Amino acid sequence: MLRAVGLVKSFAGLHGARVRVLAGVDLAVAPGEYVVITGASGSGKSTLLNLVGLLEDPDAGEVWLADRPLSHASRGEKSRARGRLIGYVFQSFLLVASLTALDNVCLAARYVGGDRAAARRRALGLLEQFGVAHRRDHYPPQLSGGEQQRVAYCRAMLNDPPLLLADEPTGNLDAEQAGAIREALRRRARSGGAVVVVGHRPEPTQDADRVLTLTEGVLK
Amino acid sequence: MSRLLRGYAFTVTGIAVGVAGLTALGAMAERIVRFVDGGDRFVRGQISVAGQGLGLGTGFTGGGLLPAAKIREIARVPGVAGVQAQVMLPLDTSTSQFLTLTQELILGLDLSVPTPNRNYRELPVAAGRFLRPGDRRAVVVGADFASARSLRPGGRLSLEGRPYMVVGVLERMLTAPDRFAVVPLEDARELLLAKDPILLNLTLGRGDLNTGAAVGWLPAEDGDAVARRIARTVPGVNVTIPSELSRVLRSSTAFFSALLVGIGALGLVIGGLSLSNTVAAAVFERIRDFGIKRALGASDRQLGGEILREALGVSLAGGAAGVALAVVLGVAVNAHVARRGQHLFLFSPRLVVGALLFSAVLGGVAAIYATSRVVRLPPAEAIRRGA
Repeated sequence: MLRAVGLVKSFAGLHGARVRVLAGVDLAVAPGEYVVITGASGSGKSTLLNLVGLLEDPDAGEVWLADRPLSHASRGEKSRARGRLIGYVFQSFLLVASLTALDNVCLAARYVGGDRAAARRRALGLLEQFGVAHRRDHYPPQLSGGEQQRVAYCRAMLNDPPLLLADEPTGNLDAEQAGAIREALRRRARSGGAVVVVGHRPEPTQDADRVLTLTEGVLK
Repeated sequence: MSRLLRGYAFTVTGIAVGVAGLTALGAMAERIVRFVDGGDRFVRGQISVAGQGLGLGTGFTGGGLLPAAKIREIARVPGVAGVQAQVMLPLDTSTSQFLTLTQELILGLDLSVPTPNRNYRELPVAAGRFLRPGDRRAVVVGADFASARSLRPGGRLSLEGRPYMVVGVLERMLTAPDRFAVVPLEDARELLLAKDPILLNLTLGRGDLNTGAAVGWLPAEDGDAVARRIARTVPGVNVTIPSELSRVLRSSTAFFSALLVGIGALGLVIGGLSLSNTVAAAVFERIRDFGIKRALGASDRQLGGEILREALGVSLAGGAAGVALAVVLGVAVNAHVARRGQHLFLFSPRLVVGALLFSAVLGGVAAIYATSRVVRLPPAEAIRRGA
């Protein structure tokens, strides 16, 4: 489902110096596989997730999704791939403040076409499943961190994407809620979805098919 | 949507203030343009004739008194459809009044003949009635003249110590007649004698006391050609050629026209920069949201369409609020200065539509510029910049 080859990424540092975050990362995730990537803070986990999620371009290397090379594809192709192939749970949730919880979830369906009423029904079902349906008409600033995280998860799942990328998906949840999310991720993988989770806490690793560690810019 | 609009409240307010200033400037320009255009339309509708010599009264024609015999001679010139003797004199002969462009005038009309002006067959009456043949000590006043003195039909007005009955108030025309007091010709002659008693010493018949005459021409004729024919065939008169008088009027107001163009251009530049900057800033302020939408699969066209719709909505809301603000302030100022017989702002339909179009077009251009910048950013970069 996902193949990344030789991903290199650096950012501008102080005084114009380049700071290399990824130094040639290779990663392959098959459908139905649940991969956890750990690493210290600042090791580049989120950057790696951004690259494989087509949210930014690598300096070198290539990302393949569903057997198509996409790192150097057109903006339109990348947009279509992001909408149809990838569900993304961001570390800071990234909900749109001017939209209700329900509208935030439905936003994922807006750009991929299809029946909006059906998408709304699916969104309500997901909010129900993760215990935030009663907050569907609330705006993000009116939700707790845990509630926002669950809404973000519902949004990532709405289009039933073949690849789910999650950045610290249980970071703001209590044990019970975190368990529900982990169980959902496991179900996702069992039903054939490829799941990549990054986190620096040890809990998620117990569910994983593979645990990789990002250190000094490469996966080990 | 309401939450989204609330998020844009500051932007809408910023645009509204800019558009309000622009609309107010435009409304002042419209007022002056209407004044000049009205005068131009008037002078193109008739040939104004005065007697030879220096001016005794005032009006559109320089010259001396126009005796009754000359009026009869003019009426016999081929192509002339009608001649109306007139007396025009300033209400207030003090220097300070005389030097203003919006001087209040007394106009005496010979009501026994139809008004020959082709563009003003009759002056529109808002309340009461116009003068009729046989009226004496009756006056019809212009809108500004009336509002400066709180006059209504049935009211009283004193001219040169003589009581007059207000029989009508003209509609606001936003041009010279707004400041007229129109009286029967005989009454105007009395007022002329009262203002200039030296005329009593001249051996003049009563019918010779005319400061000028308005001359109309037959439908098949050209006004300029008839005016030249009068000048050629009737000696001892000053004849103005309608198109030449129009040119003189235009050139005498050229300074104001240039001033208005300058103010308008400045207003457009300042208002335009303010509006486009505000809209672009509002788009960049939401760059994080647009990054999120890109991450969820929004294409250039989808995202651009959303931004453009929002920007147009915000620009039009700001534009409409700005126009409304300018109208409210303008109406209040007009009501205040009406007591002094002034009318400063004219909010014409073309001004209102123009201001809204201006807001929408500039808002759209600014949004397209901002969108072209936003869609080029990778989603992660847009999210980082908006964090």
